[in-house]
Amino acid sequence: MSVITYERDPDLQIPRRERKSHLARLDWILLLAALALSCLGVALVWSATLKTDDGMSGRRQAISLVVALALAYLISRANTRWLRRFAIPAYVLALIGLLATFTPLGVEVAGARAWVQLPGGFTLQPSEFAKVALILTIGAILSSSGREYGDRPGFWPVALSIAVALPPAGIVILQSDTGSAMVMGCVLAVMLLVAGTSWFILLPIALIIGGGVYYVLTNDVLPDYQMARLTAFMNPEADPLGAGHNTLQSRIAIGAGGMSGQGLGQGMQTQGGFVPVNESDFIYTVAVEELGFIGGVVLIFLLCVILLRGVQIAFRSKRVFSRCVAGGIVAWFAFQGFESIGMALGITPVTGVTLPFVSYGGTSMIATWLAVGILQAIRISERRERLQGEQRTDAPEPDPRPPDQDAATAALPRQADAPDLETAQPVAPAGEPQS
Amino acid sequence: MSTATRTRTPHSGGPAPSGNGAPPMGPPARKPFRMASSRRRITWMFVVFAIVVSLFAARLVELQLLKGGELAGETLGKRLVTQDIPAVRGEITDINGVPLATSIEVRHITADQTLVEDPQETAAVLGPIIGMDPAVLVPELTGERRFIYLKKNTPPQIWRDIQAWRAAEDNDGKVLQGIFSERLTIRDYPNKELGANLTGFTNAEGDGACCLESALNDVLNGEPGSVSYEEAPGGNEIPASDVQKVAPRPGTDVRLTIDADLQAIAQRAITKQAKASNSDFGMVVALHVPTGRILAMATGPSFDPENPDKVEPGDWNNKPVTWAMEPGSTAKLMTIAAVLDQGALKPKSSVVVPGTLLRGGKAFEDSHAHGTLQLTLAGVLAQSSNIGTILAAEEIGGDRLYEYLRNFGVGSPTGLSFPGEQSGYLLDPADWSETTFPTLAFGQGMSMTAIQIASMVASIGNDGVYTSPKLIDSYVGADGTVQQTAPGEQHRVLKESTAKKMQKLMQLVLQEGGTAKNAAVPGYLVGGKTGTAQRYDEECGCYSGYTASFVGMAPANDPEIVVGAWLDNPRGSYYGGAVAGPVVQQVLTAALASQGVPPTGDKPFKFPLTTDGSSLG
Repeated sequence: MSVITYERDPDLQIPRRERKSHLARLDWILLLAALALSCLGVALVWSATLKTDDGMSGRRQAISLVVALALAYLISRANTRWLRRFAIPAYVLALIGLLATFTPLGVEVAGARAWVQLPGGFTLQPSEFAKVALILTIGAILSSSGREYGDRPGFWPVALSIAVALPPAGIVILQSDTGSAMVMGCVLAVMLLVAGTSWFILLPIALIIGGGVYYVLTNDVLPDYQMARLTAFMNPEADPLGAGHNTLQSRIAIGAGGMSGQGLGQGMQTQGGFVPVNESDFIYTVAVEELGFIGGVVLIFLLCVILLRGVQIAFRSKRVFSRCVAGGIVAWFAFQGFESIGMALGITPVTGVTLPFVSYGGTSMIATWLAVGILQAIRISERRERLQGEQRTDAPEPDPRPPDQDAATAALPRQADAPDLETAQPVAPAGEPQS
Repeated sequence: MSTATRTRTPHSGGPAPSGNGAPPMGPPARKPFRMASSRRRITWMFVVFAIVVSLFAARLVELQLLKGGELAGETLGKRLVTQDIPAVRGEITDINGVPLATSIEVRHITADQTLVEDPQETAAVLGPIIGMDPAVLVPELTGERRFIYLKKNTPPQIWRDIQAWRAAEDNDGKVLQGIFSERLTIRDYPNKELGANLTGFTNAEGDGACCLESALNDVLNGEPGSVSYEEAPGGNEIPASDVQKVAPRPGTDVRLTIDADLQAIAQRAITKQAKASNSDFGMVVALHVPTGRILAMATGPSFDPENPDKVEPGDWNNKPVTWAMEPGSTAKLMTIAAVLDQGALKPKSSVVVPGTLLRGGKAFEDSHAHGTLQLTLAGVLAQSSNIGTILAAEEIGGDRLYEYLRNFGVGSPTGLSFPGEQSGYLLDPADWSETTFPTLAFGQGMSMTAIQIASMVASIGNDGVYTSPKLIDSYVGADGTVQQTAPGEQHRVLKESTAKKMQKLMQLVLQEGGTAKNAAVPGYLVGGKTGTAQRYDEECGCYSGYTASFVGMAPANDPEIVVGAWLDNPRGSYYGGAVAGPVVQQVLTAALASQGVPPTGDKPFKFPLTTDGSSLG
């Protein structure tokens, strides 16, 4: 990774009227949406586990949320440079954590050895932290091409990104957590895309992956039961007690919900335990059975608010690192959220991923909130930089370009790398086809 | 997202500004970075989200608002479990209520392996409850099978223990998750072989598979009830759910005319004798003369109705009803009675019996070669002379004899309606050949079942009135109501005086000069008739071996009990008196005692067997 020389932070070169307390600078819409979704999640987990452990899991989930909020606040105070430096140690720590699951420290739950025993009776799921660490690391790699506001990543950063994604993905596959591996793959793909990777690099990769998936699905690579699970959602009635069971039961629960639901703790499908793992993978069915169509829509709405705020943060970020990391986090939330809801609705295959903020799991809760904290940190950093840039007159102009004429970016700082206008096209090196 | 929208605007319609970069394998391309490219891609993410979310919304509307009611109905159908409550099958008891076949409620403990969370822990808890080694149980609980039997036929208490363990507050209900039970009743035969050929047994579905169990299946089976409740996958009722219960209607008990004690004696005696005489099998029938009630009806050797597969299916048959054989000499009772009834001859009438008799081109002989004998008709019966019987029968002719045979029940079902009952075989006179009449006269050329022969003898004992035999005394409903069956059909076969004469003549069989001197019961006057029939073998279509039989009745002057014993194909001594006599003697003794028949004394009835005063050995 090439060394990046950030300029020393020109502290508080922001006009006084723009200075705000840290809290005031937070993205409150994102924060409130995430908080609402988490609280809804606590309630749903409580209901889903009412029969099995008297709602104990719901209370644990609430404690996790408090811890997660505190950690998210701390990380939101970091700036992106610090985050970028933190990427590699975090990645190494996550790998150590993942490997620790194979040691005697590892704890097996429901057939997956994905947890690590901590002192004091706590357990930790390193794969959740690995997602955060991987996003930061890929962001750091993709933003390492020399200029701080980025460049199209060439072949080597892309190759390196893929290389760092492989070990954690491989380990979680070994833990039978295929869902997490798919999340990592999706995050990687979106980050490469957002980083502006050339289609000449992306297309072959996409072809290789597409071909691989096609090969796996058409040849007997996967065990029969996994294939059955992947395809059962299309016709769950074909095997109502086997592979189609989850999809079918979940669909029934959704149908039973109606417009306003049967009430929290009142859903027969939920309380009867008909939908498997409904405190985790299938928690969306609990929401729609007990809170009805309204609850289901509110849940999707809150998730969309979070995603759109994430997209906006990515969109407004000019540093490659910020943009990639924000994009990666959005991709993570989106993939898990949509897959979890989609399989409950019976329109995507059952793969076993959790619904961020909502599903039961302390580590997952903390990791998602760390990601929210990172989004906040990015927003604050980028905003500060933007305001600073507006003030700075001595800002370096390494790549002088015509002034920004884009309506959307007119208000953005006039930093040299920042403008991305069509008018910049003519300075593209020869060889790039122009149309 | 207003920003995104604004950003796109200038691009729309314009030339695609990017999308090409450095060749994939080249060194990192140092191109000016175009944020618009990256932003457009971010915008596309937004578009993808929008599509996915609208898809979800559409699906949600479809499932919840459009198809909601339908799916909710389906829901209830899926959860609603209707379990049959099996009706307890009625008992089959003897006349005194001793159960021959009874039903007990049991449960099969089953498991759904996919619901068992921790096989080790589940086995550790479940093992002691159901009495299985946890180590054996673990593999049974591990796997993907949705249904497996863990232990069959456990008492109901075991399942109650499992439920109690689940309900206990300090236990985590999950441990026994996936353990279910199947409720059913199994048929129990407390006395094992006793009456097995009568009762038969039930199949795996609990329906009768043989004999009375099968014939009376609809009576014994009640109406199963049902219980409907909403069930969680772990097998527990969802507490809030509605329970609907339809109580089962228990089956009706069937009380037989059989006396279990007598049946046991008969069964033991015939089984022992069948073995001792090296016979294929033996049969015993004990009848109550005035009513035709069957007091004992045994086949030896019998079988264990709880493990019917251990013997050949042929051995399940209640042979006294299902096995037709040529009666042989016992049928001479009918011929002699007919002759007496017609007044053609008197007991003292002289019958000159030559050594051989030629009829229809065939020479008939007696069982023991002899010169010409000067016998009375009584002597013919006592000596069981084939030639003498033919000569006596010729006094009345074939058509008359045929009428009597039909009246005695030959060739007609007895009305027991026992499954597989044979009605025997009697040729119509139109189809007779020249040898048919003489052959029929001494009991060959036709077939009868043991119960038919016993009933025939009983009609002589009953002063000439035939009574159809009766096996079922009454039906006892679950509410205790007793429904008596109709008494046996009766019709007169012989004049009373003829019957009385026959009762006396039959005593001679057991006396000096008779064929069954070893069947006498001390203290009682006993009459009877031996039979040593040639045995028709269906396999070769020829005569092979003998059927040794003896039918006795007591007290001979006013008969209460008829007992017959038959031994099929004894290898060794095959004379009815010698082989079957002792069995009859044992059963008759017991029957007289159990029926409380007062002793009559056993002073022999004297009657001349010969007309020349000679004595017979």
